[in-house]
Amino acid sequence: MTDTPLTILETEASDTDIDTSFRRLHPLSIILKSVAAVGQNLIFMGVLYFSVFDRNIAYTALAAIVLLAIILGVTALVWSRFTYHIGPKEIRIKSGLINRNNRSIPFDRIQDVSLEQKLISRILGLATVKLETGASAGEDGKLDALALADAEALRDALRDYKSGIVANAVDAAEGAAPAVESEERPSLFTMDNRRIFIAGLFNFSFVLLAILAAIAQNLDFLLPDDFFNPWYWAEQLSEQDMVNGLSFSAQIAGAVGALVSLIAVGLGSGIIRTFIREYGFRLDRVDTGQPGFRRRRGLFTLTDMVMPIQRVQAAILRTGPVRQRFGWYHLKFQSLASDGSGESDHSAAPCAQLTEVAPILAETDVANVTADLEFHQVDPAFWWRDAFILAVILGAVSIGTGVFVDPGFYALILLAIPIIAVLFLNWRHHQYALTPTQLFVRAGWWRRKLTMLPIRKIQTVDIGQSPLDHPLDLATITVGIAGGSVIAPLKIDDIPMATAMALRAKLI
Amino acid sequence: MTEAVSTPDPFEQIEQDKARAYNQGLTPLHPPQKSLIRLNTGIFAAILTVAATAVEFAIRNELPLAAGSIIGPVVAFALFLFAFLPNRIYRRWGYDMGDEQLRVLRGFMWRTDTIVPFNRIQHIDVAQGPFQRIFGLSTLIVHTAGTHNSIVVLPGLSTPDAEAMRDTIKGHIRQDMI
Repeated sequence: MTDTPLTILETEASDTDIDTSFRRLHPLSIILKSVAAVGQNLIFMGVLYFSVFDRNIAYTALAAIVLLAIILGVTALVWSRFTYHIGPKEIRIKSGLINRNNRSIPFDRIQDVSLEQKLISRILGLATVKLETGASAGEDGKLDALALADAEALRDALRDYKSGIVANAVDAAEGAAPAVESEERPSLFTMDNRRIFIAGLFNFSFVLLAILAAIAQNLDFLLPDDFFNPWYWAEQLSEQDMVNGLSFSAQIAGAVGALVSLIAVGLGSGIIRTFIREYGFRLDRVDTGQPGFRRRRGLFTLTDMVMPIQRVQAAILRTGPVRQRFGWYHLKFQSLASDGSGESDHSAAPCAQLTEVAPILAETDVANVTADLEFHQVDPAFWWRDAFILAVILGAVSIGTGVFVDPGFYALILLAIPIIAVLFLNWRHHQYALTPTQLFVRAGWWRRKLTMLPIRKIQTVDIGQSPLDHPLDLATITVGIAGGSVIAPLKIDDIPMATAMALRAKLI
Repeated sequence: MTEAVSTPDPFEQIEQDKARAYNQGLTPLHPPQKSLIRLNTGIFAAILTVAATAVEFAIRNELPLAAGSIIGPVVAFALFLFAFLPNRIYRRWGYDMGDEQLRVLRGFMWRTDTIVPFNRIQHIDVAQGPFQRIFGLSTLIVHTAGTHNSIVVLPGLSTPDAEAMRDTIKGHIRQDMI
């Protein structure tokens, strides 16, 4: 380390004397952040090595040392200017080198607290604390990083504060103390490796394929051309078979091979991704403060999140046609805060049977689907109207291209069959049900989603009519809930206007 | 709060009654709002006309088109919008201040009917733009915690009405609903 941070430390010390309760992050976080910055600059050094320094190792090494010193210096400087203070009711964070920022986050507004440990943090015994208020995208308070013990103490401080509120409220109302149990209860839900493997099978993704393609593009000088391209292997296969004079069947074999390799890569990347994210999945109920869910998971990056139960806005049960056949469901809780890794809802049980979902739901205010619950179908116009429009457009396109380009284009009309089939199936799976306290909405045939929404969590209700709805007197209900996706809000599509009005009267 | 406050003119009263027939009997917006919509539509129509003129002059030498073959239809369309749309947009707007909730109805082609319970409202704005100030209008904007519909906008209220509504709603805002 250079001298710079030390001098800054001294000037900062006089500053902190005024308010001694302000603390810094763990000093090792300088190393943590420097490593990240060095990683980002490795490519830069490589470029320098090949261009400016003309492959002179001595100059490059010198430049690398200077760069390292700058990175360490700047990181240390940033570290020295970042202080936080945990007050009785709020967290204050002061940060910024030139533009000082003084942020205050009231405990009341914190939706959930999560502790995250990346691989390096685990080696150094550090943890990043993320505080979500749901105010905007991303976390609003991020302490990167504290010693694990400090991070846990901070989380407990928050929990105790919240339990204080709950206790006061209960005392005022009934004069009874909240039931406090120890944390030794068995987990609500855990996933062993076999279960994670099953979850991975249904988590088909081409993310890995994209990454491999990106790597292949950058490192293609190391590998034969098209190494990661499934068609390459398919061609290899077909060429070998063509020697035997089996050209037609070989082409089919090639196509099948390509398809199989594609599916294998999709399955493989899904399984790997799921293992990295869900390894050691464990969901507990915590009662030592405000009742909440505590979720721990992760292979390299450990996350430890606590979400208060009262913050749960709705429960979402996802599945698919194949998954449902085997009885697997993904339970999520919608809350104002978003999960890490881009998920809009909090995953509570990524791969569970209904018998495992029920006890988790029982811990919340959200009621599960009962056997006698009657689901109502939406209007059939949901599928036939789109099918009709599609048929007209596809018909026009296929006739147009068929007449003027090539008669083979008449076959385009066949595309309508699978699409209309999917529209019909989507209609079959779009249902809603209402109990005095809760709304249930089912949607989607391929990506099946059942939303269970307590009525008192509804923020707004819209009844919308598009120009196409007027002649049929249909309407679409859109329910505003805190949290969840902006693009895909909870909707009940295409129900008769009178039904919509009656339904809304019950919802609000 | 169910009646618009200042409408002594009998002609305006007829207008108001006519508007109610279209918006399910809800309170219509303050009548000057129609002038404001007309002004906005007029500005839009003028921009359309200018753009059409520019396009016509730009391609006059490239394509053998008769004079006015672009300006003509566009001006006709702009006039149609100007004459036809403002009244229709205006009379489809409506609102209702209930005891517990605010209802906002809007839209001519795409109709939306929103209900916001007062106790779900997080905070309220009363906004006024330069044109609105000329007509003595204000916009009431309520913010909810919902991700969908987090902002519900009700334009075209007379400024005293908007402020009265804000004060009514303010009394219902509760802490920590989510």
